[in-house]
Amino acid sequence: MTMDGIKSLEPSIKEPAQRSAHLDGVLGVIYESVSDLNMQLPPEQRIEKSLATILFGGGGKLDSLGLANFIVITEQKLEERYGFRIDLTEDDPFSPTSGHFRTIDALATYVSELAARRQGGGTLS
Amino acid sequence: MAHTSNLKVHLISDFNLETLAHYLANEDGTRLSVSVAPFGQVVPALLQPTHAESTDFAVAWVSPEKIVPTFADALNSLPVREEAILAEIHQFADCLRESQKHFRAVFVVSWTLPLHRRGNGILTLKGQGLRKLLLQMNLKLAEELENCSGIYLLDGQRWMEMAGKNAYSPKLWYLAKAPFHAEVFRRAASDVRAAISAVSGAAKKLVIVDLDNTLWGGVVGDLGWQNLRLGGHDYLGEAYLDFQRALKMLSNRGILLAIASKNEESVALEALEKHPEMVLRLKDFAGYRINWNDKAANIAELVAELNLGLQSAVFIDDNPVERARVREALPEVYVPEWPNDKTLYASQILEMDCFDSAYTTAEDLSRQELYAADKSRRTAAKGIGSTEEWLRSLNTEVAIEELSDGDRVRVVQLLNKTNQMNLSTRRASEQELQAWLRQNNRRLWSFRVKDNFGDSGLIGILSLDIESGVAHITDFVLSCRVMGRHVEQAMVAFAVRYCARLGLEELHAKYLPTPKNKPCLNFWMSSGFLFDETENRFSWRLSQPYSFPEGIKIREVSPQGDAAPRSQAGVLCDAENESLSLHTD
Repeated sequence: MTMDGIKSLEPSIKEPAQRSAHLDGVLGVIYESVSDLNMQLPPEQRIEKSLATILFGGGGKLDSLGLANFIVITEQKLEERYGFRIDLTEDDPFSPTSGHFRTIDALATYVSELAARRQGGGTLS
Repeated sequence: MAHTSNLKVHLISDFNLETLAHYLANEDGTRLSVSVAPFGQVVPALLQPTHAESTDFAVAWVSPEKIVPTFADALNSLPVREEAILAEIHQFADCLRESQKHFRAVFVVSWTLPLHRRGNGILTLKGQGLRKLLLQMNLKLAEELENCSGIYLLDGQRWMEMAGKNAYSPKLWYLAKAPFHAEVFRRAASDVRAAISAVSGAAKKLVIVDLDNTLWGGVVGDLGWQNLRLGGHDYLGEAYLDFQRALKMLSNRGILLAIASKNEESVALEALEKHPEMVLRLKDFAGYRINWNDKAANIAELVAELNLGLQSAVFIDDNPVERARVREALPEVYVPEWPNDKTLYASQILEMDCFDSAYTTAEDLSRQELYAADKSRRTAAKGIGSTEEWLRSLNTEVAIEELSDGDRVRVVQLLNKTNQMNLSTRRASEQELQAWLRQNNRRLWSFRVKDNFGDSGLIGILSLDIESGVAHITDFVLSCRVMGRHVEQAMVAFAVRYCARLGLEELHAKYLPTPKNKPCLNFWMSSGFLFDETENRFSWRLSQPYSFPEGIKIREVSPQGDAAPRSQAGVLCDAENESLSLHTD
């Protein structure tokens, strides 16, 4: 698998200093999914590991197949990490104003909150 | 006809195959240009592909219930007639057979069912149970395609199993009309690439193995052969034994084995011969270098001794330092990462796809014996003064035969896998070769060689394309096994004599350079032909005779059952049809 251009997609935007540990855990899973996804995408569609990366909507690079693959890969990795299945297509995910696929940041926040609710208010690690 | 770079692949399906296209295009190795037919257009894409003019390969991956509508009824638990299913498969097979004229090879993916489709569990393998029907359908398809040399059935079930329980993804299907998880497509891409490599003749031909802690457990120089871990009631001994069995299986398929080991030669050879549970004995290896020299240098020597290119070799060693050294010094040799866990050795080599070959012939199955005969030749040569004397002592006989049905597979195989002594490195499927030969001004001969040490089988190809008094050599191909034994000269002399008898004026041989066919250039430079550097072309005035090499017997064989000489629209009316004439030059 060619890695041309993939390294340059490592986190490039300065992350906020104070993020909760469990949010960082979710973000780690999402970035792993981005790595897997980039391996199958043509170079021009590869996305950055960055909170600001747009997953869906204007300015985004992913087409519908790319986004669908990203959703399935991420759901599988979250299940492997946290032990229960999370459906990322719930809760109006593609809304341009509130959908959790607007950016990686929005997705990480959504997953973190959803998982915490599933665990009865507990935290993720 | 195509060369092995920038190959074009067309994907045909009734679902979204874009992910497979991306994996195929992204992966390292031969650069592939991938196109995808609009999904759902399976039959038109096979029969009238828009990319047909320039596409080398097609991959047809279709859902069983779409291409075999009666199976859709079975999925809905409706009673079905098995004859109807078989007839629909026959129609699909007809369509695939017809598509062969557009592609060098067509890869068809076997049918699978999602794991969640359990049917009526207890009856799924009885009566009209879904799994039973699917097994029958795949078997029928395999039988229909059995004799189609340009169509290969790929094992889709294996990809599903390797991808695990998430292989089928209902979510991907509903979101993007792609039924499988990306991991399935990644596995599929890997197998499609291996299949392309197999059809293109790029399969590896030689496995060079280390001994201590690779072929057996322990260091023989320290422990003695009696104390090696091999077989016995010992889990590691059994693992090494299974690794040797896996290598023996490759050898049975025609892959050569050789040894590169840092050891005392006599000690290591004694272990190979005396250990009671050794699966691989010295006779199983085409060559060895057991000494304290640099392994990379030893491997380069071994490969040269076997007349192979470095790109044909795989090196297996438990020691990461030796692996790194060989990778650095000989980048063309494939050096796979090797697990620390000895229990994985056998499965590791059984999983490697670099040995996949599109054909298996009698010569493949006896390759080890052919190389053993070569070894005897080399040993005999050491006791004889000049090369000429040695060649004469071999009593070589070259049998020449115009392409016959029985030789077609071997000829296509040789054409597609020979790199070094290959004038144009033309690659062609059986269909393409047949189509090329349909023109009456074209001829192709096969060459077989035998001598005192054994029969080397079909090892050479010569083809001519004749136009306006000039014959052009299209293919001049000789197996590395017999290079340097003056068979090359015999092939040229045959071509010259054939063309002279037709009253032609000149014989041309245009050399098309590749990274691997320098030995061919070297031969032609010494052939006596006039070389035109600007055209990369060798030529011979046919008014001059060209001598057959001394000490080689030439036997021309008429193809069996081909009694009538082909009418040649003028130029080839005088085609030789000498039956079983024996010439000694």
